[in-house]
Amino acid sequence: MQTTLLEIRNLHASIAGKQILKGINLTIHAGEVHAIMGPNGAGKSTLSAVLTGNPQYEVTEGSVLLNGKDLLAMPPEQRAREGVFLSFQYPVEIPGVSMVNFLRTAMNEKRKYAGLEPLSATAFLKLMREKRALLNMADKLNNRSVNEGFSGGEKKKNEILQMAMLQPCLSILDETDSGLDIDALRVVAEGVNRLKSPDNASIVITHYQRLLDYIIPDFVHVLADGQIVKTGDKSLALELEKNGYAEFE
Amino acid sequence: MDTLSLNKGEKRDLVFIDTPDLDLHVLQAEDSVLRLFVLDFHSANNILHIDHKAPRCTTEIYHLAFLHGADSVSTHTRMHHEHGEGISRQLIKFVLDDTSKGNFLGELVIKPDAQQVDAQQTNRNILLSKTATMRTRPQLEIYADDVKASHGATTGQLDESALFYMQQRCIAPDDARKMLLRAFIMDIVEKFPESEDLSVTIDRIIEQGQ
Repeated sequence: MQTTLLEIRNLHASIAGKQILKGINLTIHAGEVHAIMGPNGAGKSTLSAVLTGNPQYEVTEGSVLLNGKDLLAMPPEQRAREGVFLSFQYPVEIPGVSMVNFLRTAMNEKRKYAGLEPLSATAFLKLMREKRALLNMADKLNNRSVNEGFSGGEKKKNEILQMAMLQPCLSILDETDSGLDIDALRVVAEGVNRLKSPDNASIVITHYQRLLDYIIPDFVHVLADGQIVKTGDKSLALELEKNGYAEFE
Repeated sequence: MDTLSLNKGEKRDLVFIDTPDLDLHVLQAEDSVLRLFVLDFHSANNILHIDHKAPRCTTEIYHLAFLHGADSVSTHTRMHHEHGEGISRQLIKFVLDDTSKGNFLGELVIKPDAQQVDAQQTNRNILLSKTATMRTRPQLEIYADDVKASHGATTGQLDESALFYMQQRCIAPDDARKMLLRAFIMDIVEKFPESEDLSVTIDRIIEQGQ
């Protein structure tokens, strides 16, 4: 039997009084990859912001369960510790905080929550080397400040590295393909594919079909005006690529 | 007022930690190097007056004020380049919590004979509460034409988007704030001679901000 990982029921959300999500229903099982496509302004990024607890958005109706627990009742850091990971569309630069210090703090917070011992500095660096090798990423960024001065491609790769380290049960990739050249896109997509397992699931938010050449989704949903208006398999993405979003706008 | 002269070629570090009223006048001779470190955790009035009395002097000023409660720090730097080929660097930061007040007046004068001077003044401030206030006034007077002089002043809050990013990476908001504050002040603190000795004090002062 399939394990239900995420259950979104009738989710409504607004920002600054403006209603963006107008009743999202979506069930995600372990092992699945769901692509969410749609025109600009449909609410794709709002969905990722609401699932991760971004304080700018207000949930006005509906519920979200993660592994049966009320996700919306948890503060953002608890959602992350429960295994929700967002690969940001615009990863934030944090001058003065080194990648190593940042990521080790993050890992150990998650471990503490799960009742595990913190990782030693040595064990942490070893794990980071392994993950970098797995993802074909150079380790020159370790001692730099988080995302500071990184190129667009480096920032997105760095998100995937953090995902590999934190081993989330639900990964949300928000427009991970935007601003990436084809080589960076391939590295990012291969990383996502290598991290896929029967126990975790991904939501891939994208405007274009291009990323889905590399990350094959089990389901494709079209989000328009705050609702999922169509669901299909990967062929739906190709159809959208050909015909555009005109029929949904 | 304390007046102090640096001899030709002399290198001197001056460190002042929580000195309530600092009124300092330093006269620098040829090729001398002054590094001035001023750290305030409580109310203080600082006047830091430096005169380059000969060519090729170097001055570095590192100043941090980290205040809680109703404390206030007023700092007036008077960096006077009277001769050529001099270098000055000023990095000044205020972190203000509660109803504390900061005041910075950065007077930078480059006299007509002071050609090829390279002067920088940077002032960055963070307000941790809505009731803290910062007043900053860079005041540049440049009378020589072949010089580099730059200044910048910013005042803001801790970066909300960075806080959310850190929370999304499992870090609790209080810990995220501490990491951001530490990052903000460390580029000054690390410059202090024997900065390791300061780490306990810095930890305590960051903790107090919560």
